[in-house]
Amino acid sequence: MAVMELKSIPMDEVLRYLGAAGKDPGPLLPLAESCCRELLAAARPRWTWRAFACEETPEGLRLSCGLLLPGKDLARHLLGCREAVLMAATLSQGVDALLRRTQLSDLSRSLVLESCATAAIEEVCDRGEAVIRESYPDRSLTSRYSPGYGDLPVTLQGEFLALLDAPRRLGLCATESSILTPRKSVTAVIGIREPGAEAPPQKRGCESCSLRESCQYRRAGTTCQPKL
Amino acid sequence: MMDFRSLLQKEKFILLDGAMGTMLQAKGMPMGVLPETLNLTDPGWLLDIHRQYLEAGAQVIYANTFGANPYKAGDCGYSCEELVAAGVRLAKEAAGGKALAALDIGPLGQLLEPTGTLSFEDAYGAFARVVRAGAAAGADLIVIETMTDLGETRAALLAAKENSSLPVMVTMTFEENGRTFTGCSVPAMALTLTGLSADAIGINCSLGPGELLPLVEELRRWTGLPLVAKPNAGLPEPGTSRYDVSPDAFAAAMVRLAELGVQVLGGCCGTTPAYIAALREALEPVPFVREQFPVPPAVCGPSRVVTLDRVRVIGERINPTGKKRFKEALKNRELDFVLAQGLEQAAAGADILDVNVGLPEIDEKEMMVRVVKALQGVVELPLQVDSSSPAVLEAALRVCHGKAIVNSVNGNRETLEKVLPIVKKYGAAVVGLTLDHRGILKTAGERLEIARTILEAALSYGIPREDVCIDCLTLTASAEQDTVLETLKAVRMVREELGCPTVLGVSNISFGLPGREIINPAFLTLALGAGLTLPILNPNSAAMMGAVRAWNLLSGVDKDSREFVARYGQGAPSAPAPASSRPAVELDYAVEHGLRTEAAALTKALLETMAPMEIVDQKLIPPLDRAGVSFEKGEIFLPQLIQCAGAAQAAFEVIKERLAGESGGTVSKGKIVLATVQGDIHDIGKNIVKILLENYGYTVLDLGKDVPPQAVADAVRQSGAPLVGLSALMTTTLGSMERTIALLRAEGLPCRVMVGGAVLTPEYAAKIGADWYARDAKESVDIAKGVFTP
Repeated sequence: MAVMELKSIPMDEVLRYLGAAGKDPGPLLPLAESCCRELLAAARPRWTWRAFACEETPEGLRLSCGLLLPGKDLARHLLGCREAVLMAATLSQGVDALLRRTQLSDLSRSLVLESCATAAIEEVCDRGEAVIRESYPDRSLTSRYSPGYGDLPVTLQGEFLALLDAPRRLGLCATESSILTPRKSVTAVIGIREPGAEAPPQKRGCESCSLRESCQYRRAGTTCQPKL
Repeated sequence: MMDFRSLLQKEKFILLDGAMGTMLQAKGMPMGVLPETLNLTDPGWLLDIHRQYLEAGAQVIYANTFGANPYKAGDCGYSCEELVAAGVRLAKEAAGGKALAALDIGPLGQLLEPTGTLSFEDAYGAFARVVRAGAAAGADLIVIETMTDLGETRAALLAAKENSSLPVMVTMTFEENGRTFTGCSVPAMALTLTGLSADAIGINCSLGPGELLPLVEELRRWTGLPLVAKPNAGLPEPGTSRYDVSPDAFAAAMVRLAELGVQVLGGCCGTTPAYIAALREALEPVPFVREQFPVPPAVCGPSRVVTLDRVRVIGERINPTGKKRFKEALKNRELDFVLAQGLEQAAAGADILDVNVGLPEIDEKEMMVRVVKALQGVVELPLQVDSSSPAVLEAALRVCHGKAIVNSVNGNRETLEKVLPIVKKYGAAVVGLTLDHRGILKTAGERLEIARTILEAALSYGIPREDVCIDCLTLTASAEQDTVLETLKAVRMVREELGCPTVLGVSNISFGLPGREIINPAFLTLALGAGLTLPILNPNSAAMMGAVRAWNLLSGVDKDSREFVARYGQGAPSAPAPASSRPAVELDYAVEHGLRTEAAALTKALLETMAPMEIVDQKLIPPLDRAGVSFEKGEIFLPQLIQCAGAAQAAFEVIKERLAGESGGTVSKGKIVLATVQGDIHDIGKNIVKILLENYGYTVLDLGKDVPPQAVADAVRQSGAPLVGLSALMTTTLGSMERTIALLRAEGLPCRVMVGGAVLTPEYAAKIGADWYARDAKESVDIAKGVFTP
């Protein structure tokens, strides 16, 4: 665990974050490719996870370590789960420094780098999630659910990270305003269903997208995936 | 029991304890509990753990105060002072006078600016509280450990030294690549903490003792201080978090570190009294040998060390002297302009950046601190802080996270007595100007004598010879032609007789003469030949950098001409076309296609025949409007729109530079204050709004990110701006936005407010009293047009 080697970033995801999903990216493509290379050189992805027993209470989901994950939405997402994995991942501070530098020298490029970084941290989470899934070969797992989604408060971040010892192990902290720092970082809960428990219908929609708050598609009243 | 400093002086190993967290978990500490609260709820556990380590042989035990700071204590029910005092008292009680009790200080749990929002000053304040509480409770020494940010480490060390007289040991945590999470390197840590006069430094946590070996090898070459190693019991096994090295294997690996000269040894995560007992036994037959290596002369930023064993270029561009546009930028607090100068020089090959922001109209100290902090967030290079005011120099050194150079002292007794103690306290190098109350003396011999006075004074304060950089002073050839060769002679004499590094502000030689670009490289080459090691020059000048590179080749420093060939040989990156040649396109084409260099060159040419405002209205705005339409139609994407904006901005910069040279001229359509609200650090949206507003001719006062409400109100009052733009990207920072607007209203400022940001809605904007909700950057321009239309 801890350091993860990342050698590529899915280009279609980068283009999607840039608003070019399903369109001809034109000169954007070589720019995005060069930004991906620069981003990968600056990133040092780290991640960690830990499983806890959990139970549903009237206030929300309570983990065996004592942490309450308040609200109804996560409990609904984890229906049929008696175990939950907390995970945290970060691209690390080198990316923050790269973005700071590039914002000064070339704002346009920094926009593309932002999209590369968002795609990269999602990729890190996907790979981490795959490792977790391998640890539970005969169980079905829910998709990732992060503080700030639905009614799960984002103010949980500090306690969430402390439980994973993320400040020491990953250099990942939260500010007083519960912003994750380094900025390109993710925390998430994954439910582990009891054997035989039926999976409620789930889709990967805006609700559980980390860009939901800044999404240009959503603001325009559409989504990036027409089928949703 | 002997005190810690005396123990260090003895030629013997000092044994520390092992892990605290591991032991507390074994005792059944509940998860999610702040371990330091156990000092008050379960003191018996702590006494027992301490005693086990003492029995194992520990001579120094760490009190259970690692996380007892105001940020981590939060709402645990106890103040950080209560937790610290209880922890130190328990360690003292257990030690019973037979061992030393250390106040243990860990990271605050939040990242410092600029990645996080915690300021250096607040971090210092938090550490100072911990230090005072620990010293009052009777700690024998202070340990600062598991640090990853050199800035935070400096805050803790300064707090320890300024709020107690206790010995301080500092250890940081590295990964196998020899870097901390924040990119701090082992040599940078060693240079910086040695300079700040820690009592012992080293490495803890991180890795197992075996993996620490190469890091310790490197560490000992960069410091003369006693060394510390407190590694983990190997690496954690995936899934279980158990560590993979047994007590005996741990002890055996530690012996190898001891043989490298590590004097202070213990264990971190995963180690127990069994590890410490094994370590004590293993060390018994090992003689302690203190081997001193000559530390290379060097300066550094947190992640970049620059050795002074060859010619190094100090970039001179961050300095308002004789630069109207730079002065303007300082007055308007355009931090980005200043930072861009730093980035440009770094890209051009500068090794060190001089930072001078002295201007009569501004608060130099406040500006210096802002610039130093921001600059080290974007460039890795070591800094040379440049001011005539000792107070400004000290303020700069305080926030400069590395080993800096102070520019400057001179032969005046009074200056030496004021500035050298500051240089020593912060472990900096210093530039000594060879002048004194008599002014600049003509002959080389006289200047050498002043250099000798400066060097002797520095040595008397404990500043080493290699950190005293002598400036023999370049006088202008036009006014004092006969002194040029004397200056070169003085450089040679200083090198030969004093052995100090030498500094010269090279470009001054040609002041008042035509053809400066001919004279400067010629003088530079002569000076390098005479022994100049630290030329201060404009690294953006290809001829000057070429002269330095040629010197490196000719003097044999650039072995086999490798660096030179890589720079100038076939396949080397080709130099950009000179900006003076007029491109074959029109300005509006250049803007529409995002061609920045061309846009700047074309604007320069157009200014010969067109009025600035005409250029803005006829040549810049129409292509921007067209790009805006293409963007809205989905024909181009946001980065391309911003590329156009960047080209227009380059054109604006040329116009501004021209107008700064004339008096009273402006193309500004009005002033707008922009800020990302307090607590929020997502500022790319605000920066997009800024560039578009600037494109349309508005003067933007950009206050940056994480801006307190009062700072917004003050800026509005001082500037009289009738429009304020605020951004927030998080639901948790919308409250800051509301407070900022409330303050603007409460102070009765006649401004209107537009707000934007992903989580905002028009309804929420109205609710918190904003005048407008701006959906995107384009809309903020429309709002501005409405406000500023007569």
